[in-house]
Formats: sequence, structure tokens, C-alpha cells
Amino acid sequence: MKNVSKIIPCYAADTSGVCSALYEFGGMIAVHDASGCNSTYSTHDEPRWYDMKSKIYISALTEMDAVLGNDRKLIDDICSAAQKLSPEFIALCGSPMPMMTGVDFDALAEEIRRRTGIKTIPLHTNGMHSYLTGAGEAFLSLAKCFAGECSQTNGQGVNILGATPLDFALNGSVESIKKWLADEGFTVVSCFGMGSDLTEISQAATAAVNLVISYSGFPAAEYMKDKFGIPYVCGVPVGRTFSERLARSLRTAAGGGKCVYPCAERSDSPSELCIIGESVFAGSLAAALSADFGISAQVICPLDTEGFLLAENDLRLASEEDIENALAQISPKAVISDPLYKYIFPRGTELYALPHYAFSGRCFAKSIPNLINRNLKELL
Amino acid sequence: MIKIAIYGKGGIGKSTCTANLAAAFAKMGKRVIQIGCDPKADSTINLLGGKPVTPVMNYLRENDDEPESIDEISKIGYGGILCIETGGPTPGLGCAGRGIITTFSLLEELKLFEKFKPDVVLYDVLGDVVCGGFAAPIREGYASQVLIVTSGEKMALYAADNINRAVKNFEDRSYARVRGIIMNRRAVENEEEKVRAFAESAGLEIVADIPRSADIIRYEDMGMTVVEGDPECETAGRFTALARKLIREESKENSDE
Repeated sequence: MKNVSKIIPCYAADTSGVCSALYEFGGMIAVHDASGCNSTYSTHDEPRWYDMKSKIYISALTEMDAVLGNDRKLIDDICSAAQKLSPEFIALCGSPMPMMTGVDFDALAEEIRRRTGIKTIPLHTNGMHSYLTGAGEAFLSLAKCFAGECSQTNGQGVNILGATPLDFALNGSVESIKKWLADEGFTVVSCFGMGSDLTEISQAATAAVNLVISYSGFPAAEYMKDKFGIPYVCGVPVGRTFSERLARSLRTAAGGGKCVYPCAERSDSPSELCIIGESVFAGSLAAALSADFGISAQVICPLDTEGFLLAENDLRLASEEDIENALAQISPKAVISDPLYKYIFPRGTELYALPHYAFSGRCFAKSIPNLINRNLKELL
Repeated sequence: MIKIAIYGKGGIGKSTCTANLAAAFAKMGKRVIQIGCDPKADSTINLLGGKPVTPVMNYLRENDDEPESIDEISKIGYGGILCIETGGPTPGLGCAGRGIITTFSLLEELKLFEKFKPDVVLYDVLGDVVCGGFAAPIREGYASQVLIVTSGEKMALYAADNINRAVKNFEDRSYARVRGIIMNRRAVENEEEKVRAFAESAGLEIVADIPRSADIIRYEDMGMTVVEGDPECETAGRFTALARKLIREESKENSDE
């Protein structure tokens, strides 16, 4: 029972990550789940639903479907819907119940592809992992299915990997990242997955470098490094000085350099400030605070990540109990985190609120700041 | 890599056949993994001198966490065979089928095949293809062939027919195909005719004919397979012949590719 959260909420799950990552690419996303759950994935965890359409469907799995193993019904329903909608692709993903009954999404996707002639992507979500796992697999599948070999390369071209409202809200952050790249002399080839279409994704291999702005972009970055030899740089351009450093890293990598992790390049000096959040963003923010103000911060990452995306003193803690104990032990003067974390802070710890859509949803959506290439004083 | 799932009616001798086949492969110098997919967790016991391996489900229950290495949930048995048992949930609770899927996912995460680099993987599966979990061994990436163990007993043949039909249901998917029947004789009247009649009606080959033998029971009492205990006896010879046949077929397939 260690992973039970008694006070804080849990992050959006992998299924929401898939729906968020693929929202803008014209595919039909079919979630094998009970009726009613669609609102979780495509409204509660999805701020774009107010003004942007997407083809997200729920199979309306019933108890008897699960008990009887009615795969045929699911396949028929998807094929029939796909004939009417002619989507660019079909993404098929699961939820807890199909996980329990062991639905073989790889086999179902292959059968649907054969019947419809439409590319069908199986995504192995089960509602038990974080949105980063789901979005990560979805972006990886996009890269595998649609980013083909390109004969020409764009020496200034950059793909942005890992953009979803779950991490960047709809506050203009992703647009600011694109503008920052343009101001630095880069060309945005594609953005996985906000503000791009499949035509842009198909050109992804022309880029000279990938910018990973969330851990959800990491699997696709690794794939494109291996497949096309495109190096990647992990970091979000927050603050002024760190953004300049990140731009330099991008230029070096684009010029034939190696993959680098500026979000993890920080000193391990003692800190009275903690940042709780997704590793690439939180690490970038910590690096930016250090670069702009000389403030060192320790990152607590409660989500999926890799060791090399964190600095030496950072902590990977998944459970509420572990985070609460760590904060009690560190006893920081202040914590930058989603406001809902404050209920497990030690007494007297100050909160600098940085709402995270994947954690508190629309509760504080209007007050999520856009920190891209800006002076961080407004946060502090 | 030879990857075989062995199905058959409960109590028909699947584990005996699987362990003897594993031992026969190992004796020919093959690197073998045997995975018992049955809550009873007794598939590999006769490869381990009667000392069972900790089943994966038991490990998960006792440690409330996943193992970090294959070593924690496996044991090396006769001929270097890597023995794994899925085990099952608390009796009367949980879901045994789901346990098999969980075990397979875990073995994938632990990169079992990449690390051990087996030549042969044998899945010894409980009874029938009763649900998604018990079909997991025949999914793409796991077994590519199914062997059905049956005697001439009516209910064993009935189960064999059900298994054959269930596997055929997955013809649209890239699942395993039924390779043939292991006739495990139980001294039933007209046994051979009955099994041959079934095999013919189902369009299946009898790939091995295992005689009823007291040797099997004698060596199992000593915690070993007959292949280990008396490799020269007739029964051991039948398993060795089956192993040789399957190796030959795989070599031919590889050379055709």
C-alpha cells in the first residue's frame, strides 16, 4: 500500500497521456474502456476540447464484454467508425479492465490495419502508469510510423519533442518556445505534439537536432538518434541565462555534437529550495534559478525519468509517503510545486505555486505562468 | 529459437513431458528455459532435484515489489536449464490468468531472452486455453508452436480438441500454430487407434508416442526426469527423438529463410 496517496492527487494516467499527445494529428484514438471514462481523458485532462476537435472514442466496454472476451465487437466497432471518419491513423489503447483480462492490443491493431488499410498503432496503456509513459509511447509511435527518411537536412532545423498541455498548459509556453527558437536562428521542423500536423512530422528527419522539453519526448528522441542520427538536447528555455545556455547547446548538437542534458547540469551546493515536478522542466527551472539568481534548488521528481536527467542531489520519489518524509528531512525554506503539494509540506515551508495541469487539472489552470525565456522574478 | 507451448487436459502429464523434453534438449547441448504457467508451480520440480524454485507470484506477494534480476525468480536445474514458475494468486482469490501475463511482462522487462540467450523455450501451460492469460504463451513473441499432450481417454481427447480449436480461433493473429500431438499413453483400450483417429480428424501429426512406463514415476520420486535418470531407456529415447525432430525442423526453417 506504499504507493497510496492519502492527501495529494495522482498524476494524469498513461491513457490521458496518449490522448493528449495525439490530440492534434487527425487520428482516431480508441480507448478500450467503460463508457463515461472519455471525459477523464478528453475533457478533465484536456484543455483543448473547448475549441479544438479531435476524434477520441471509448469502446464502452461492458462487464459482459470483459467476461466474454468480446474482442470481435471492439474490432468491428473501430472498423465501422474508421470507415465513416477516414482518420489519418488509428490509435488503440487500453485501460485497467483490458489489462486485467489480458487484451492483446498488438494483435487487435494488426487485424484492424488489415481490415481498414489504415495505419493502426497499438499503445500499451493500462491506467496504472503516468501520463509521461503514455505520451512517450504515443510520440515514439508517431516518429516510427510517420517520420520517414529524408534526403535533405536542415542545418538549423529543430523538432520539439514532448509538448502536451499536461506539462505546458495552454498559456502560450509552447508558442514561446517556438518563438525563442526562431529568435535564436533555428527553424522549427515539427512539434510533437502541439501546433503541428502529420506533414510536419513526416519531415522530422530533416532536423539537425531535437529539443526534448519533457520526459514524454525522450523515447522519440532516442529513436530518432538511433534511426536518423539526430542528437537531442534536454531542457526547457526558462529564465534568461539558462535559455541562452540551452541555445548554445542546441547549436553545438546541431553541428554534429552529442546528446546533452542541460536540465541536469547543476551544481550540488546546499539548497533551501525544492522543486517538485517533471524532470526536464523542474531541472531546467532549477538550472535557470541558479544561473539568474545564484539560488540552488533540489529537484524532487515524482514521475518517470532517467537518472541522467537529474542532478546528483535530486531525488526520484514516487510515493506521497516518500515525498513527505524527504521534505521533512530536507526541511526546505520554500518549495516550488503545484499548490496541491502544500498539504504534505513541513510546517512553515513556503509555497511558490507552479500549477501543473497533469497534477491539478483545471483547478489552477488560469494561474499557470509562462516562464519561457522570461525573467523568473514573476514566479518568485 | 525453438519456442513451444505445451497444453493438455489437467493431469495428463504435461509437466512430465515438458520437463523430459527440456532435459532432452539440454542433453544435446541446447540452452533451455522452462516456464511453468500453472498456479501449482510444479512444472520444473523434476529438473531441480525435487527442490522447487520460488514462483514469481510468491515473490511478488512476499516482497510487495518486483524482482530486480532474473536470479531472484529462477533456478538452474539439470543440464543448465533455467527454471521459472509463474505460480498463482492466493488460492480462491485473484486471477491466475492475469498472473501469467504479469509474469511474462516482468520477464520481458528483465530482458530474459536477451540475457540468457536460449536456444529453446518451453512453456508448460495449465490445462485449456481458458482465458486471455492462458493464451498469453501463444501470443506473438512467445511460443511459435503448440504441442498438445493427450492420452486415449475420452476427456483428454475432448480437451485436446478444445485446445486445437482455441488456437485455430487465433488464425487471424500472428499466434502460435499447433505443431502436433504428444501421445502420452495411459493403458487405455485401443488407445493408439483413438488418438490416431482424433489426430486425423484434426489434421494433426502425432509427433511423439510416449509409452506408459514405471520409469517415469520411479525417477520423479527421486526428483528427476527419466532423461536424467536413465537416458538409455525407451521412454527417454522417445523424448530425445522428439527434441531431435524439433531441432531438425528449426534448422530447415532457418536455412529456408
